[in-house]
Amino acid sequence: MAEKVKLFVNGQEVEVESGKNLIDAIGAVGIEIPHLCYHPALGADGNCRMCLVGIEDGRPPLVPACKTNVAEGMKVQLDTEKIKKIQRDIMELELINHPIDCPICDQAGECKLQDYYMQYDGQKSRMTVPPVLKAKHMDFGAGVVHDQERCILCARCVRFTRLITKTGELGIVNRTDYARVTTFPGRPLSNRYALNVVDLCPVGAMTSKDFRFKQRAWFLTKSESLCHGCSKGCNIYIDHNKEKYQDDIIYRFRPRLNQQVNGYFMCDAGRMTYKLENDNRLNTAQVFGKETSLNETVEALRRSFSQAKKTVLLVSPNCSLEQMHAVKKLSATFNTVLSGYSDGYINAGDGDDFLIHDDKSANRTAFALLGIESSKSAFEAALDGADLLVSFQNDLCRSLDDVTLAKIQEKTKFVYIGSYQNGFSEKASIILPVASYSEDIGTLINADNILQRYVKAVIKNVQVSNLIHVVNLLGGEIKNHEEALTDLSATIAALNNIDLKHIPSEGIALTGKEVSNVAA
Amino acid sequence: MQVKVLSARFDIPDAHKIEVAKENGAYSTLEKLFEMQPVDVIELVKQSGLRGRGGAGFPTGLKWSFLPKNNTKPVYLAVNSDESEPATFKDRYILVRDPHMMIEGIIICCYAIGSHDAYIYIRGEYTTQVKALQAAIDEAYAAGYLGQSIDGKDFRLDVTVHRGAGAYVCGEETALLESVEGRKGQPRSKPPFPAVEGLYGCPTIINNVQSIASLPFILTNGPDAYKAFGTEKSPGTHLFGISGLVKNPGMYELPLGLPILEVIEKVAGGLRDGRKLKGIIPGGSSTPVLTPEEAQTVTLDYESMAAHKTMFGSGGIVVLDDTVDIVKLVENLIYFYHHESCGQCTPCREGLGWMLKIVKKIVRGEGTTADIDLLRELCDNIEMKTVCVLSAACTMPVRSYLNKFRHEFEAYVKSDVSCQTAM
Repeated sequence: MAEKVKLFVNGQEVEVESGKNLIDAIGAVGIEIPHLCYHPALGADGNCRMCLVGIEDGRPPLVPACKTNVAEGMKVQLDTEKIKKIQRDIMELELINHPIDCPICDQAGECKLQDYYMQYDGQKSRMTVPPVLKAKHMDFGAGVVHDQERCILCARCVRFTRLITKTGELGIVNRTDYARVTTFPGRPLSNRYALNVVDLCPVGAMTSKDFRFKQRAWFLTKSESLCHGCSKGCNIYIDHNKEKYQDDIIYRFRPRLNQQVNGYFMCDAGRMTYKLENDNRLNTAQVFGKETSLNETVEALRRSFSQAKKTVLLVSPNCSLEQMHAVKKLSATFNTVLSGYSDGYINAGDGDDFLIHDDKSANRTAFALLGIESSKSAFEAALDGADLLVSFQNDLCRSLDDVTLAKIQEKTKFVYIGSYQNGFSEKASIILPVASYSEDIGTLINADNILQRYVKAVIKNVQVSNLIHVVNLLGGEIKNHEEALTDLSATIAALNNIDLKHIPSEGIALTGKEVSNVAA
Repeated sequence: MQVKVLSARFDIPDAHKIEVAKENGAYSTLEKLFEMQPVDVIELVKQSGLRGRGGAGFPTGLKWSFLPKNNTKPVYLAVNSDESEPATFKDRYILVRDPHMMIEGIIICCYAIGSHDAYIYIRGEYTTQVKALQAAIDEAYAAGYLGQSIDGKDFRLDVTVHRGAGAYVCGEETALLESVEGRKGQPRSKPPFPAVEGLYGCPTIINNVQSIASLPFILTNGPDAYKAFGTEKSPGTHLFGISGLVKNPGMYELPLGLPILEVIEKVAGGLRDGRKLKGIIPGGSSTPVLTPEEAQTVTLDYESMAAHKTMFGSGGIVVLDDTVDIVKLVENLIYFYHHESCGQCTPCREGLGWMLKIVKKIVRGEGTTADIDLLRELCDNIEMKTVCVLSAACTMPVRSYLNKFRHEFEAYVKSDVSCQTAM
């Protein structure tokens, strides 16, 4: 635990963490200091002047809180008339040249200017002269659209491209109120994290081309989840909305703070995987191309199981720990071969030193923990003589080409139990749709051995069964998610001492030793 | 009234050339300098009471002593030759007429503070001056006064001239450092102060041209000779630029402490015939204006200016007579500071533009008394809320004009509709 210091805020003694600036330290105990340019991941710049606070007996008596570290006995004044007037004045100055086009601004509802106006300003406009006009809807590239008139020049976006991506595409040109954020001519935003500037922007100056004009922020339900785009396991918000007479649709993913995993950010590719949750989903069960009910399909599947001489169960590295465990149990019950073969999910060389990993699946680490073999040779050996291949979410087309698959299909019947239409679902004789991760609860272990939980976010109009339930219907032992957790804790040594039912929001870091022990 | 301390060689033909300058005493202090300990040089400058001539008047010796003890990093000297404050034209004389005086001063300063690399930041518009300065530096290198071994002593000193690109704000010391480092000239937040963390993250002393140029005289003649000029708290002499509506505008070297009206009358020739004094800008455009009544008791020194709620500034005196339109003067003033705002801090960036539009509205005859009040209030709302003092350099004088010449603004306000339009 970090050292504590005692200081006074508005005359009241508070104990806060030392070594932090006033905004973070005092903010941690629930006292807000308004700020626009400061962001914990980007450091203090001190340009907005919104966080000016009084320091009693201080020299100087007025300081930017973002640039001032807490000190023992410091007397911080936030509620004096002087400070309140400064906050009002700064807000007035922020707004005089702002277009105040909230009705058509995507940021409305989650805009710092709106919030702070209500909280710290509330004055009528005294602007009787024309405002400064600047460029609007500029395409900055990478799906980012910029509005210079809405911009308050806090430079968060500029600092992001300089400090975080180190690509430096953005800069502020010109001085005085002609100053504006822009790109170099012919050099648009071109980094794989560019859309983070949309989240970082405290106002509506940076908008996402993809999200623009789709939804008002206040209609969106913000559910916590985990990105399944790669093995980093970035924490996200799933922003979704069910409009009247419509289905529950996801409109965007946004990064959710987890210092242990992704910090404040996520990559653009992961952000766009929300589309997979909306589109090209499997909604109806099919047996040889004919739509069937769940019961009919399960019957057909059970028949296939009993008739098959050799069955191979293929599980996806995107399945949750619980799902994998349930399938593993099923495999043991029916004495089938279990494989996690999914080489196609790995895009070697695509990863970087920040958040993006080569492995485009979310839970491959769990294979090792559960002892699920995923090598190509083992999979090929398993297929030898197999006449039934049941895939759980695994799109084998990513790993094998059509010619090879066609050859396998000559002898083997394909069954797909999954959420998405893909190459493999098209080839499968029996298709059984199950809930995807945005509609289910589950546990993932990311590439850094951090165990995290995602929860149900979306409730579709037509609800399909979750994978564990389907596995249970097929004859699997595990009945539900809860039971899977209990069984995992009991049977997997590495998880013995972990309360899987209460996973903290930042996740649990497993030691690499536990995992490799089990795998070996 | 005029004296010849800094301007001693100004009228000697070709004094900018090293041989002429040397014949007339340039570089004669170096022998003595290298016999002294650096701390003793600092002490000597402290004793002389020399105050920074850039405008703030901070004691030069004291500034030098802020360098961290037991420092292991290089120490830099940055000479501020940005001279951008409107109505200020003193450093340019030194740069053109006696650049060797400044180079000698740089050697003294660098020896005292332990610096081996000095940068001269000169404003971009000073094309003649930069040529003269660079020629003098080249001469000094050739003559062995700069380079690996100064005057044969075991002391290296390199001087680099860095030209600005025309931004007023680069005269602010940390913006100057940003500019030297190759970035957009925007002031840095302080602390850390440049003496601790300045150029390239190293301890840096930033001094004005005239402060540096005063050093050879102090070293040659001792602190007492320097203190013989001026007042107790404002010792020495200063190059005053007197402009505006006087008969003989120009640059005059005067000891500090002289009555301002007497200087205008006797040195600058007084007002044009038949004109009445309306006001005096005492030390560059950013200093609050003095009314004729206030000017009666003002003397040209730091303490008298402070007592009259204005500033000594850069010694750029502007005399305003009864033909001057104060409202248009304020419009011009705000235009300048708005144009020169670096755009970093919200109050200055947005506020000065707003103030400019309001004053233009008043000039157009479309203003109201509410606009005058708003202009006055904005001065308070903007001032001292920013990283640097550029905004205050605008609001302080504007407030003084609004307070002291409000009737002129009111004369522009045709129809008095009070607060209605503003709300």
